[in-house]
Parts: sequence; C-alpha cells; structure tokens
Amino acid sequence: MPDDFGGPNILPQEVAEETAFQQLIRHWMNERHSPDILPGQELLLGRILDHVRKQSDDVQLLRADPDSSEDEHFRIMLVQTEVERVKFVVRSYVRTRLHKVEKYARWIAKTPEVHERLSKAELDHAKRYARLLEYHFTQSVLQSLPPDQQSLEEETAFMPPMTPEPDKLRPVFVHALRDCPHVQLPDGSTITMEKGRISLTPYYVIEHLLARGEVELV
Amino acid sequence: MALPPSLRTTATPAELELIASEQLVEIVPLVAMERTAFISGAYGPLRPPTKCKMPIWMATNLKLKKKCHIVPPDWLNVEYLQERLARETSEPEFSELPFRFAEVAKVLLDVASDDISSPDKVRSLLQDIREARQAKSREGLSKLDHSELSLPNLCSMEINEIRPFFVRSMSILTQLVREPETRQMDQFE
Repeated sequence: MPDDFGGPNILPQEVAEETAFQQLIRHWMNERHSPDILPGQELLLGRILDHVRKQSDDVQLLRADPDSSEDEHFRIMLVQTEVERVKFVVRSYVRTRLHKVEKYARWIAKTPEVHERLSKAELDHAKRYARLLEYHFTQSVLQSLPPDQQSLEEETAFMPPMTPEPDKLRPVFVHALRDCPHVQLPDGSTITMEKGRISLTPYYVIEHLLARGEVELV
Repeated sequence: MALPPSLRTTATPAELELIASEQLVEIVPLVAMERTAFISGAYGPLRPPTKCKMPIWMATNLKLKKKCHIVPPDWLNVEYLQERLARETSEPEFSELPFRFAEVAKVLLDVASDDISSPDKVRSLLQDIREARQAKSREGLSKLDHSELSLPNLCSMEINEIRPFFVRSMSILTQLVREPETRQMDQFE
C-alpha cells in the first residue's frame, strides 16, 4: 500500500510502483467498504492466479526432489506461505463480490448498466439466484396473497423497496491517492481533496473518483 | 460461501495486520539464502551480516525460526514515541504517524521484542498514544455532519475502530437532511 502521507523521516518506504498483489489488496478493501458492487478485476485476478499456479508447481517440483537441502526446504516454506496469503485475499475478494451478487441479485438482473461490472460467472449466478428467489417467494407466500399484493415490485410509501439496492448514501472512509479538485459535497460546497486526505463522506460523492482510481477506501 | 456476516461491514484487525505485513522492513539475516522469486517480487540473497529488506510477514517468519534480527523502523523507539506522545497530549490535532503504525508495532512487538530496545516502555507509550488519540476521535464526533468529515493523520486501525459508530451516525444525519436535498441528489444519479 502506498503509505506516503507523513514526513519522509517516519516513512522510509520508497514510493514504488504498486505490485499486482498490492493492487488486488486495494481492490479487495475497496470492494469490502463500498456499498455498491465495483467493476470486477478479472484481468488482475487472472494474472495473480497464474502466478499462484506457477509458484505452486515450482514448489511441487522442488519437493519431489529428494536431494533438496534444508535451505531449500526453508525457501519452499516461505513461497508456500506467500501463496496462502495471496489465496486468502483472492478468496475474500471473490466472496465479498459473491455476497453482493446474491444480496442485490434481483436489482442486478433488471439493471443492464451493472452487467458490465460483473464477470460472466457472476452475472449468470445473479440471474439464476434472482430467479430462484422469486420462485421461492411466489411458492411460499406470494401466491396465497390477494392478487394486487403478489408483486415484488410494489412501492409503498415509507417502506424500504422490496428489491434491495446498494445504498449509495452510506458514508465511507476515503483516502485520496492524488489531488482531486472540485469534489461536490452534499451540503453544496465544493472542495479539493488533496493527496493523502482522509475523509468520511457519503459514497455517491466519491463514486466517480473511486472508479478512476484516484481515491481508495480504507 | 458468500462473505460471513461479521465481515460485511468492516475489516477485522487480523486482516489489517495481513495488509500491513506486506510492508518492507530491514533485517539482519543470521543464515544465508539464495535470492528467491515471490509473487510480490524477488527477495534476497541473504548474506549475513549484510542488512536486507523484505516484507514483514517474511521477516517474522525468519525471526520465529531465529534466522534473523529485525531492525525496527525509525519510529518504533522510546525517544520518537515519547516526543509523539508529548505532541499528542499538548496539541488538539492528531500527530503524524505511519498509516499502519498500530499493526506494524503489534506484529514486531509480538515476535521481535528482543530486537527493540525497552519493549515494555514502547508498549506503554503506544498504549498512551492510543488513548490520547481515542479521546480525540470521540471529540471529533461532535464535528460530524451529513456532508464530509476530514480526518487528517487518522490511522488505519483507528478508522476501523470508529467505523461502525461514525458510519451509522452520518447515515442518520443524511436521512434527517435528505428531504430538502432531494433535488440536488438527483443530479448525481
């Protein structure tokens, strides 16, 4: 993570290019903290999984070699440890998205703009899940209700909608990765989020900045 | 298989520790090791006693097997933390600390306390700093509105601590002012 706020004396960490794994960690945390489902990072995920596979294959090869020294065993152990760390993040990232796909399945199924943010597998799952859910609701309750109450679409005043949607009003903690001028706040004022600034603000305020990678959620 | 409910609203301290452990730390190796390719980059070769940089998770792994000493970061010592504590208690704003200082300090104090001079003093200073900062976080709550709250120098672990309460409070404030602002909101959507 590029932790470059704070004086240089307390942060000797050089500002290096983000590695693929660091990118994944950033997307993982963004996904965890964002109320909406973000564009899936399929390419990145593919690259990292290829790398994991390659490391695991190398480990298998080295292990099969009876002549490997103690030193090599130790390096194998470190490589495996890292593979497990990466797998953990990949799994948590995919599961976070799965949670949102299922929670918002019906909304996703009827909102075409969201489809491009999902992988094919995620979209298929969302549609199937939405169908199952509707079937289940109809079979278990709705079909026994009077006809004008059978719909899942009805909107009653003061009641939350029956199709859960991402709550873009939910506040998030946001960290500006570069200067972001002209951020319009809910109270009508406009501010510049200078690089390194950490703010708590509703999600919709920074949604476009997050999509452009100018901020991250923390 | 979806995310368990306990993880849906916030990250756990263990997860933050995992993220912080990707940061590099300097070590003094006690064993030699060839340069090895990892997913996050290549590290090594280790040639005692030449110092070397590697991720914290790798360093703690070596440390637990007594294969290295960890060189604590510049800010993890009594003098530096004492100075921070003095500032923390005399000035109204949060003082500057590395974003993930709490996680890094915990990991290093857990496995490498013998590489840190007077670890008990460091621990108690960290605790005092934490308490002083927590008091400020609570005061910060009074500045909360529905729009934006800037939190300079707040650290990862502290954000995680205040997250549930602050997010909920701001949500409620947002709901309270929502009606008159409906028109403005539409522009965003």
